[in-house]
Amino acid sequence: MAPPPQFQRSSSPSQPSGKSEISDLKLQLRQLAGSRAPGADDAKRELFKKVISHMTVGVDVSSLFSEMVMCSATSDIVLKKMCYLYVGNYAKGNPDLALLTINFLQRDCRDEDPMIRGLALRSLCSLRVTNLVEYLVGPLGSGLKDPNAYVRTVAAMGVLKLYHISASACVDADFPSMLKRLMLNDPDSQVVANCLSSLQEIWSAEANTSEEAAREREALLSKPLVYHLLNRIKEFNEWAQCLILDLISNYIPSDNDEIFDIMNLLEDRLQHANGAVVLGTIKVFLHLTLSMADVHQQVYERIKAPLLTLMSSGSPEQSYAVLSHLHLLVMRAPVLFSSDYKHFYCQYSEPSYVKKLKLEMLTAIANESNTYEIVTELCEYAANVDVSIAREAIRAVGKIALQQYDVNAIVDRLLQFLEMEKDYVTAETLVLVKDLLRKYPQWSHDCIAVVGNISSKNVQEPKAKSALIWMLGEYSQDMPEAPYILENLIDNWDDEHSSEVRLHLLTAVMKCFFKRPPETQNALGAALAAGLADFRQDVHDRALFYYRLLQYDESTAERVVNPPKQAVSVFADTQSSELKDRIFDEFNSLSVIYQKPSYMFTGKEHRGLTDISEELGNLSVEAQPAAEALPAQIYEANDVDLLLSTSEKEEVRGPVNNSSAYRAPDYDSTTAALVSSQVPLEADLSIPGLPAYNPQVSSAIDDLLGLGLSVAPTPAPPPLALNPKAALDPGSFQRKWSQLAISSSQEFCIEPRAVVALATPQTLLRHMQGHHIQCIASGGQPPSFKFFFYAQRAGQPPSFFLVECLVNSSSARVQVKIKADDGAAAGDFSALFQAALSKFGE
Amino acid sequence: MPVAASAIYFLNLRGDVLINRLYRDDVGGNMVDAFRMHIMQTKELGTCPVRQIGGCSFFYMRISNVYLVIVVSSNANVACAFKFVVEAVALFKSYFGGQFDEDSIRNNFVLIYELLDEIMDFGYPQNLSPEILKLYITQEGVRSPFSSKPTDKPVPNATLQVTGAVGWRREGLVYKKNEVFLDIVESVNLLMSSKGSVLRCDVTGKILMKCFLSGMPDLKLGLNDKVGLEKESQLKSRPAKSGKTIELDDVTFHQCVNLTRFNSEKTVSFVPPDGEFELMKYRITEGVNLPFRVLPTIKELGRTRMEVNVKVKSVFGAKMFALGVVVKVPVPKQTAKTSFQVTSGRAKYNAALNCIVWKIRKFPGQTESTMSAEVELISTMAEKKSSTKPPIQMEFQVPMFTASGLRVRFLKVWEKSGYNTVEWVRYITKAGSYEIRC
Repeated sequence: MAPPPQFQRSSSPSQPSGKSEISDLKLQLRQLAGSRAPGADDAKRELFKKVISHMTVGVDVSSLFSEMVMCSATSDIVLKKMCYLYVGNYAKGNPDLALLTINFLQRDCRDEDPMIRGLALRSLCSLRVTNLVEYLVGPLGSGLKDPNAYVRTVAAMGVLKLYHISASACVDADFPSMLKRLMLNDPDSQVVANCLSSLQEIWSAEANTSEEAAREREALLSKPLVYHLLNRIKEFNEWAQCLILDLISNYIPSDNDEIFDIMNLLEDRLQHANGAVVLGTIKVFLHLTLSMADVHQQVYERIKAPLLTLMSSGSPEQSYAVLSHLHLLVMRAPVLFSSDYKHFYCQYSEPSYVKKLKLEMLTAIANESNTYEIVTELCEYAANVDVSIAREAIRAVGKIALQQYDVNAIVDRLLQFLEMEKDYVTAETLVLVKDLLRKYPQWSHDCIAVVGNISSKNVQEPKAKSALIWMLGEYSQDMPEAPYILENLIDNWDDEHSSEVRLHLLTAVMKCFFKRPPETQNALGAALAAGLADFRQDVHDRALFYYRLLQYDESTAERVVNPPKQAVSVFADTQSSELKDRIFDEFNSLSVIYQKPSYMFTGKEHRGLTDISEELGNLSVEAQPAAEALPAQIYEANDVDLLLSTSEKEEVRGPVNNSSAYRAPDYDSTTAALVSSQVPLEADLSIPGLPAYNPQVSSAIDDLLGLGLSVAPTPAPPPLALNPKAALDPGSFQRKWSQLAISSSQEFCIEPRAVVALATPQTLLRHMQGHHIQCIASGGQPPSFKFFFYAQRAGQPPSFFLVECLVNSSSARVQVKIKADDGAAAGDFSALFQAALSKFGE
Repeated sequence: MPVAASAIYFLNLRGDVLINRLYRDDVGGNMVDAFRMHIMQTKELGTCPVRQIGGCSFFYMRISNVYLVIVVSSNANVACAFKFVVEAVALFKSYFGGQFDEDSIRNNFVLIYELLDEIMDFGYPQNLSPEILKLYITQEGVRSPFSSKPTDKPVPNATLQVTGAVGWRREGLVYKKNEVFLDIVESVNLLMSSKGSVLRCDVTGKILMKCFLSGMPDLKLGLNDKVGLEKESQLKSRPAKSGKTIELDDVTFHQCVNLTRFNSEKTVSFVPPDGEFELMKYRITEGVNLPFRVLPTIKELGRTRMEVNVKVKSVFGAKMFALGVVVKVPVPKQTAKTSFQVTSGRAKYNAALNCIVWKIRKFPGQTESTMSAEVELISTMAEKKSSTKPPIQMEFQVPMFTASGLRVRFLKVWEKSGYNTVEWVRYITKAGSYEIRC
């Protein structure tokens, strides 16, 4: 084949040369259209190729539509394919012209050659023109019954395409049930796989509107079908296996034997060459054994070797995907890889995204037995050419130091970093030393000696400078030079552009003043003057606050600025455990890479839930700093000094600091928060004029959540035992429901996390099942869901409880109506039901 | 939902579109622009292979001078998507005779579109096996059998194959001479500390096969791995033969291998695909024989001079030899002048890589070779000594040697016609990432 002409590289849609080229093509195509001369096909091929290459680079060649269609009457398959490709690309934009193609596509759908039938059917379904749907139904129907498997595979996918063009046309033609039959009976594995993927998508989309579809979707997870697929799994190709494994990971086996059967059957999949199959199998194993702690642990052991293999083979991109999963697992089971730490040593030539994840792994798996080796290795990276990796490595060392009890060696290493005299190493290390001192004040002597030697001129990054200044203020009694260094810094106040540093400077000089008044007095005066003149509101306010505090009473001021401090025992975790669980539920998907549950990034699919989930999304991630700030303020109330923990979190908090610096716990907020009257807080010392403390921190949280609701208290479950294997068929449920009177009706609120979890209503069903409350029907569309549950009392007489449960996810309200065979027990059951529901999403 | 892709783009390094294929409508047409704007034209490029831009996720991979970009809007299966790209590239390579770059794409774009049509439908991966696809998608373009030669009907046959149960082999193959080629290729990874202790060392190996066998043969492969030998001695109830056994940390197999039988009997039995394929991959961390020892000494003589001494010892059998040995010794950026002495091979200073590249074409076993270099540095204003030292890196190939000690004990071929086969076995060990810190 000749290479496409060079001009394409430069041609763009607007260029006139492109236009004349197109009209030229048009002319040539027209001449060839009816030609049956020998060699006409070859000439057409060349022309078609030109058209397609124009199309690829983005030149609009839709004006050739009718000519292309005219030329499509050919028996040459390659020509046909090019023509199909062209038509598929432009039909959507030209629905009228697309009609022209229907004729020849339909004719090709009846061709003798199954290849052509399949191709034509695929193209026909890819036209994506709504008003041509009527022409689609017939060929699709016969395609599904085609004797040739190739055509059936195409048709099975075609049904899904039709569904996306017009859902009603697809359902009306009864295609889903045809697919279902095909899925159960077709001898060809690829047909089965395509039926399965189509049905999964169709039922999931339909389930929101139709209860029947929801049932059908559940039926995809029924035992017979799952077993049917499992027993044949080896016949499927690797991609179809991924599909089936994904389906099975949602299956709920009835007992432990079943779980072991499935795992035995799938164990050899861990040896598959395709990493996606291996990860899919791992997901099944992990999810099946969630309820069995020992077996779950064994599963971790079993999957270790395959995961390490996956990580070390394949392209760096694949390693990246696997490492993200490893990281998720190691957070759940840190001991898992503690002896395999050497696998996570970085290779010099690896891309930085792989190195970064490996550093995170090393941090996560460090424990008493391997800390020394890991830290030694991390120290090697601190000298890495790649600055960002060097920084990460230093942070990793710091994180390990904060995790461990035996920090002796690590502190030495950190101090060695300071001697490397590289600006970025010094900067990162200072931040870490600061954090370390807050947790282990006993190391102050060793650290201070080294820190005192650092010239503040060599520290430029605001975070590092703040850390240094904090140490100068905090340990000014041990650092002979402290007042003079601070004084020097204050002299250069105007050169300092970061408000963070200025705030720290103010506080540090205050602290220093109370420890060494004569030496600091001048500096304090200068600092307060400079602070008062500062145009940044928060700097100005803090300076003013200190000034007035000093005016009011010096000893009070000292108690505010230099309170006795408790060491910070634990730095707050960045991610809530519920989010981690959600991510774990979505193992083997993008969620793991982004470290967010899918509802946070696949906006379109969850449009219905947008309001609530966005709100909650903000809450859980973006607004997390705010949530963290609250416990922080409790600390403040205890006068525990509050600098920020790890630098990573400081980044997260960045935006919050900028918007409302008052509340930011980032600063030396013993005092900062006191200034702010927006967040009332309690101080041991009563300072007149400051607003009274509002002790209801919990309600403050609710307000932050923006829900304005008080969360329903969790009542202790009363002693009512339910039959774990209650059974009731829909008919008798309906009969009972109409016969019985409502014995209890309640309305209450559910926790926000429950609302989050409700993004997939199925989880609620499973959750309630765990409490022996079965679901008989469910439906609805976000934000309102409706569930019918039933339960049976254990023992005699077997009396049933029926529940209608309406959940509104946007208001987080639940309405429950309970009917019971035995009205007297309804109260107990109602409490039990509410208790079970309140645990949902935990 | 394991959708692997909503759209696939092939871009060259400048960001020009070479191929675009939209599978689903849930991503817009301007996705290429988003990729160019937010990834290609920024420092982001290469920092992370998965990025989210405006509700869509982009997975990208660079292969030679082409970027392959996958766009999805749903919560896709990332591992599946990357594997798909890797497999697709392997498929294209097998069509283009091993080449995959901008030129080969431009020359074959129609073929690529044909293939993209077959290997994925509506975002779900279909069949990517080159053996099968080659039956009905050929570079020449199959003329429909009904137009020219009505008797010849390869195509309907092919479509049966596309979906058949033994998807990797077609029936009715005939070879005059039945041959099997078996290659054991190991790459040995090493990370050695500056003090000479091994920090990390492992072997990733693969067994490549080339089969030219008639009919539907059944093959059985025996290795000297520990588990397999133990199982065998158990079955035959006789003590295991003494000799080296290898403990494999983990094994993965080509889909043709009967995994159930592997798990129960620990033997590798399979019906091979026709032609070339990768039978298995394995990983070993225990008992690795390093083919080379590297002993560097670096002395700094004052501020502007340093002396680099590297001794390389080969520790494999004296009758064997390594080929294409390359030792890259890093030197500081401000290197002004270098002079070397080598006992074998040639050394050169490569300013672009900041290292001395020492090449030895043929390196016999049980010998050693040294290079001593003197490096003169430009004295710089910056007083700080550079503390960033990249490791010494090494490349080599040692034929007939396996770092793990793995050996093929037997390869049996059964076919109902009972023909004789000729089996060829080769071993080779290559350097993976062979790094020695200094």
